Amino acid sequence: MTIFSDIWYVAKRELIKFTRARVRFAVNLIQPLIWLGLMGNMMKGMTNAPGIGKMLGTGNYLAFMTPGIIVMTVLFAGAFGGISIVWDRRIGYLEKLMAAPIARGSIAFGKMLSTMLQVGTQVVVVMIIATILGVHIVTGLPGCVVILLIAMVFSLILSGFSLSVSATMKTMETLMALVNLVTLPLMFASSALFPLKVMPGWLAAVAKFNPVTYAVRPMRELTLYGWNWAKMAPSLGIVVGLAIVFLLIAQFTFQRATTE
Amino acid sequence: MSKAIEVEDLVKVYRNGTRAVDGISFSVDEKEIFGFLGPNGAGKSTTIKTLVGLIRATSGTLRLRGVDIHRHPGEIKRQTGYASQETAVDDRLTGWENITLQGHYYHLPSKEIAQRSEEVLKIFDIYERRKDLADSYSGGMLKRIDIALALIHRPAVLFLDEPTLGLDVQTRTMIWSYIDKLRKEYGMTIFITTHYMEEADALCDRVAIIDHGRIQALDRPGVLKQQIGGDIITVRFSASNDGAIPALIEAIQGLTNIKEVGPAQDGIYRIIAVRNGDQLIPKIVELGEQHAVATESIRLRRPSLDDVYLKFTGREMRDEEGSREKIGKNRRTQRRLNR
Repeated sequence: MTIFSDIWYVAKRELIKFTRARVRFAVNLIQPLIWLGLMGNMMKGMTNAPGIGKMLGTGNYLAFMTPGIIVMTVLFAGAFGGISIVWDRRIGYLEKLMAAPIARGSIAFGKMLSTMLQVGTQVVVVMIIATILGVHIVTGLPGCVVILLIAMVFSLILSGFSLSVSATMKTMETLMALVNLVTLPLMFASSALFPLKVMPGWLAAVAKFNPVTYAVRPMRELTLYGWNWAKMAPSLGIVVGLAIVFLLIAQFTFQRATTE
Repeated sequence: MSKAIEVEDLVKVYRNGTRAVDGISFSVDEKEIFGFLGPNGAGKSTTIKTLVGLIRATSGTLRLRGVDIHRHPGEIKRQTGYASQETAVDDRLTGWENITLQGHYYHLPSKEIAQRSEEVLKIFDIYERRKDLADSYSGGMLKRIDIALALIHRPAVLFLDEPTLGLDVQTRTMIWSYIDKLRKEYGMTIFITTHYMEEADALCDRVAIIDHGRIQALDRPGVLKQQIGGDIITVRFSASNDGAIPALIEAIQGLTNIKEVGPAQDGIYRIIAVRNGDQLIPKIVELGEQHAVATESIRLRRPSLDDVYLKFTGREMRDEEGSREKIGKNRRTQRRLNR
C-alpha cells in the first residue's frame, strides 16, 4: 500500500526538521521543568494543608500534576501541528506535493503522524523529568507506555483541529492567535491542574465537556492508583472517539481547501 | 504520433467567479519549447496548473501525449514535472534531502532515487553542495534545485511556471542554458510561462501571447516579429521652416519599402520599413537635406516581442497587474531568491 509510505515520507520531512531544531527542543525541555519545578513547589504549601491531600488523591502535588503537564504539552504542541501546512502553502511546497502522484489523504495524515511522534518524544521527556523530581508512577514502565499512547492519541484531536483550521488560513499569525484563544481555556477549564472537586460548580460543569479532562483522567489513574481498566474505559473511549472524528474532519476540510 | 500537449477550448472559472482562462486551444509538439507570454493575471499559471492536474478545468479537453488529463490524473502526474513560480524548496532541509524525498513522493525505489538524485543534481551543478541546507543556497541555486526536483521521475513533459521570476540577468541567462540543455540532451518537451520578452525570445520555439485568458497570437517569435514589419527607424528632425517637416514626411512616404510613417512623440518620427531599413537611413538623411531639414538623430532597430505584445494587447508588457495576494506572493518569492 503506497498510502502508508506516502504518509511516512510526508511525516519524515517534518521529523528531519524536528531533530534539527535544537533550540526548539531545549525550550520543550525547559517548559515542563518550569511548570513542574515552579508550580509544583508553589503548590506544596497548599497540599500540606489537611484535607487537600485527600481531594487530590495524593500527598504529592507533583504526582497529581504530572498527567496535567503531559496533557498540556500535548495540547500546545498538537495545536500547532497544522502550522506547517500554512508554511507549505506559502512557499508552494503544498502544490509540489499535490503535483506528485501521492495519495491526497496522505498529506494531512502525514502531518498528523509527525505531530504525534514529536509530541511522543516530548511526553517521554516530561515523564523523565517528573521521575527525577521524585514522582513515582505506580503502574511502572508499562503504565508509562500506556500514558504515552493516550497522549499520542489525544494529540490527534489537537492536530486534527489545527490542520482543519490552517487548511483555510493564509497567515500564521491568525492561526497562532486562534490557537492561544482555544488552548488556554481548554487547559484551565479541565482537571489538568486542579481536581474538579475544588472548582466552582460552573467551571466543573464546563470541564465535564472538555476533552482534556478525559485525557487526564486515565493518565492520573495510572499515575496515582493503578490498573483500573473499568474506571478508565469511558474516558479512553471518548478520547479515541474524538481522535477519529477529528482525523476525519481534518481530512475532509483539507481536501476541500485544496480542491479548486 | 500524438502531440505532447493538446488543449481544446480550455475554460477555467474559479469558485469566486474569476474567469481566469477563457477558451484557449493550442498544441505542443514533442521536444518543443513552448512559451506562454503574458502579464500577471493573464491566465498563464492557471493553464499550467490544469495541465499538471492541480486544478480541474471548468470545461475543455486536455490531453498529454494522447492521454486525457481528467480521466487519468495519476498517469499524467508520472509523466509531467512541475516547478512552480514560488521555488518550492524546503530550505530547512539539505539539497539531498529535498531531492530524495521528492523521489519517494513519486514512489521510486530507494536505490534508483539515489542514482537519479546524483545524476540530476550533477546536471544542475549542485551535487557538490548537496549536504548543505538549502537555506545557504543562492537564488540561482534554489531555482536550479527546484527544476532538478521536477526531473527526478524523468518526466516526458516539463512545466516551468515563471522559472526566472525575480532572478538577476546573469542568473537568468544561466537558467536558460540549463533549460536548453534539458531539451538538447534529454529530448524533453518544455512548457514555460514567462512575462519576460527576452526569455520567450531566447528559449522558445513557439510563443503564445496570452491576455485576459485568451490567446491573442501564436507563432514562432521570428514570425510574430515579422508581422510588425521589417525594421523600425526612429528619427528626430529639426527645421527652421514650419512647413519643411510635413513636406519631408510626404517625401519619405514616397520611398520604396516604407510601410508606415508617423509621429511618435516630441518631434520623433517612427518609420516602419518592410525590409532593408539600414539602406533607407542615408536616403532619409539625403531627403532631409534636400528639404532643408536637419536630422538630429536616427536609430534603427529590429522589432522585438515587445512591439508584438503591444500590437496584440494594446499595452506595454511592464504594466504589472494581478491580485494583491499574487503580488505579495511574487514579492516573497523575490525576497527568497535575492538574499
